[in-house]
Amino acid sequence: MSSADPAGAAASAAASAPVLRVRALSVTHEGADAATPSAVTFDVAPGEVVLLLGPSGSGKSTLALTLNGLIPHAIVADVEGTVQVTGLTASDTPVATLSTHVGMVFQDPDAQLVTGTILDEVAFGLENLRVPADEIMRRAETALRRVGLWERRAENPDRLSGGGRQRLAIACALAMGSSLLVLDEPTANLDPTGIEDVYAALADIRGEQAVVLIEHNLDVAVGHVDRVVVLDGAGRLVMDGPVDLLRDRAVELLELGVWLPTATLAALRLRAAGYPLAPLPLTAAELRASLDATPAPTVAARATAAGEVRRPTPADPLIRVRGLTVRRGRKTILHDIALDVRRGDFLAVVGANGAGKTTLVQAIAGVVPPPRGRIRVGPGLDPGRASADELARHIGFVFQNPEHQFIAHTVYDELAHGLRDVPDARPRVEEMLARFGLTGKEDVHPFLLSGGQKRRLSVGTALIAGARILALDEPTFGQDRERADELLGILDDLHRAGATVIVVTHDMQLVAEHATHMAVLAEGRLIAHGTTDDVFADRAVIDAAGLRLPPLAEAFAGIRSHPELDGVVRLHDLPEATA
Amino acid sequence: MSTETPATPQAAAFDPYAPAPPATRRHFLYRLNPLAKLAAIVPAIVVLVFVRDLATPLAFGALAYLVLLIGARIGVRTALLLAALPAGVAVLGVGFSLWVDAGGVDDTAVVWRIGGWTMYSGALAIGYATALRLGAIFALSLVPGLTTTGPDLVRSLVQQLRVPYRIGYTAMAAFRFVPRFRYELEVIRSAHRVRGAHGGRGPFAAVARWMGYVVPLLAGAIRHAERVALAMEARAFGAYPTRTERYPVPFRARDVVFIVVLWLVSAGVLVWGYPWQLG
Repeated sequence: MSSADPAGAAASAAASAPVLRVRALSVTHEGADAATPSAVTFDVAPGEVVLLLGPSGSGKSTLALTLNGLIPHAIVADVEGTVQVTGLTASDTPVATLSTHVGMVFQDPDAQLVTGTILDEVAFGLENLRVPADEIMRRAETALRRVGLWERRAENPDRLSGGGRQRLAIACALAMGSSLLVLDEPTANLDPTGIEDVYAALADIRGEQAVVLIEHNLDVAVGHVDRVVVLDGAGRLVMDGPVDLLRDRAVELLELGVWLPTATLAALRLRAAGYPLAPLPLTAAELRASLDATPAPTVAARATAAGEVRRPTPADPLIRVRGLTVRRGRKTILHDIALDVRRGDFLAVVGANGAGKTTLVQAIAGVVPPPRGRIRVGPGLDPGRASADELARHIGFVFQNPEHQFIAHTVYDELAHGLRDVPDARPRVEEMLARFGLTGKEDVHPFLLSGGQKRRLSVGTALIAGARILALDEPTFGQDRERADELLGILDDLHRAGATVIVVTHDMQLVAEHATHMAVLAEGRLIAHGTTDDVFADRAVIDAAGLRLPPLAEAFAGIRSHPELDGVVRLHDLPEATA
Repeated sequence: MSTETPATPQAAAFDPYAPAPPATRRHFLYRLNPLAKLAAIVPAIVVLVFVRDLATPLAFGALAYLVLLIGARIGVRTALLLAALPAGVAVLGVGFSLWVDAGGVDDTAVVWRIGGWTMYSGALAIGYATALRLGAIFALSLVPGLTTTGPDLVRSLVQQLRVPYRIGYTAMAAFRFVPRFRYELEVIRSAHRVRGAHGGRGPFAAVARWMGYVVPLLAGAIRHAERVALAMEARAFGAYPTRTERYPVPFRARDVVFIVVLWLVSAGVLVWGYPWQLG
């Protein structure tokens, strides 16, 4: 802007003009039959935060990549319609030019780091644009101060937590001077503290920066959003409006396969049970406030006693851990752990990053052989001594990335590997294939399966040798909601059938909904172990471990207006619908 | 551990981006251009490949130590390394002597005799000449090695040798992959072990086992590299033929002086040691 007058006019026009203008956008990937997204049209005004929702496969991430031109410039795809960012047409503007208008934050914080210090990281994009060095320093400082990382500018980004690295990615985008920030599942790889970290950074820039956000964890996100744009399973735009759409059309969204905030889901259920909740709440605080203002239903609805039938628990623990200390190098990862797991428990092992959760579960499953004589599994198996085959008959371990544990070239061999000592493996393999929906895929290479199929196969391989204990390391990490739900359904089925399940996880609502027991680790020590309800009732433990209460526990803890809801943490413990 | 901060624990131990320690006036090596340090030692290293005597490598080793002791900051680690190198050469020398064909040296003095086996002084001389050559080459390469950071080397390659920055800085970004892949390999190995994919002992089983790690490792690596590439492109990497250089690594008069001095000293040593054969 060289002369003052036209610049002023342009600025006032720009204030009302949308930052992003998407018109009839359809993207067809190579080899795909249909376009997702399909004929999508919407605008984003300056300073507006837009949440993009849709079931998996609706093309949300594809849409995100077209906004800064990576599609079609870096990833070839057939693009129809137009994307305009501050007046530039994305399909015929180089990505480098667009990078000063659109900043991207991706899901994996590790995959966005390229330099050796936090300061260099922020400078990286500006250097590529040949911005003069003193100007770079000025902009880097402003951006880093915005996300609270300026003091740590000389450190290696590796030393930041996951949440810190995502804040750094936001700073990198801010420094480029972009007027639109696109975040694609920015918190999917983070623990609860990291998620709050990212949203705190977003709250700081609220109103100054237009944001397009893709997120499946709505419990936190919903407080930071102005508008929602919803795609259906075929990638078509079905809703575009204020965030209140989530309340007003909640049922419709649920049918589309869009995930809703837990508080909204709970309120839907309560409404069916006769609680006149209107409008629907979006956050735990809103749920609690509207319950306080609502009389109890006339029909005497009461919470079902407990989510599941309580089996009589056998006195003798199935897994017994005593005095387990694990050192790696000079660092002590686990300090003197004592833990009993009973047959039929669904145990969630929780704690902040680096608390030793995975180490504990890997020791129990013998993935990393523990010191001898500290752990007993079943009648007398010591994972510190047992061979892999012996272990596999008692306890199956599912790694976070299923690909890591595939060792055969076909799905059939993958399953049959666990039965190599069994004379006639075929019927058992076929049974397992049918059980996990893999019939017909026998001859496929495991790496060529879809993500959900890989995950199911990895569970199948862990179970086929007859294991009645299944241990899983962050099974829902970085996955979309549908796939996570599918896996959790499998785990619930196994658990109902009598299997013992141990899960390492960060997802507190998952813990609340599925686990019967919880073990809380903090800095390598077991600070609590008990039933899920008891542990969630102990606020001090949850805080000490750096965890967060699941939204329902938050809403219902000590609620006076509706004593029947006090202490409920699970959706399915809420009062049943009155017929 | 798998989900939580991958790469962090290992990265703490080895940080390829760590800045050089603050340079004082005396520790001049840190203030030289990385290419100058390389250029200064390369002729000596090339000649060392061909010399056969004891004195020449010893002299070059002493030269390297002298330069390092004057021009580099000697911390505990460096001191240990510098102390361990002569010890390593001493052990290696005996090892090489055992390899020497006794037939060619049986006219030299007998040093010791154990049963039917004789160690001749000629064999020891050849063994130590070889070990000293390796030691001297290693010591010389410590001159740039201990006093240059990876990023500085990349920068000088880009700035002075005109290596395209797309190559140089991509290589630098790839440093980040190392701890990540090391971690991933560890996970894959334990995953395969827990599945009972041992396949027995011995070298063939080991090869088969490692082949089994390659597929998942490569699949993960390719996916990761694609993501990094997209993230870099989204930040305008490769937009122009040049990029702003916030850390100029100049090539100054003192770099030329350093090269010339080291070349002259090297030449002096070579003349002194000619014909570089065992007497």
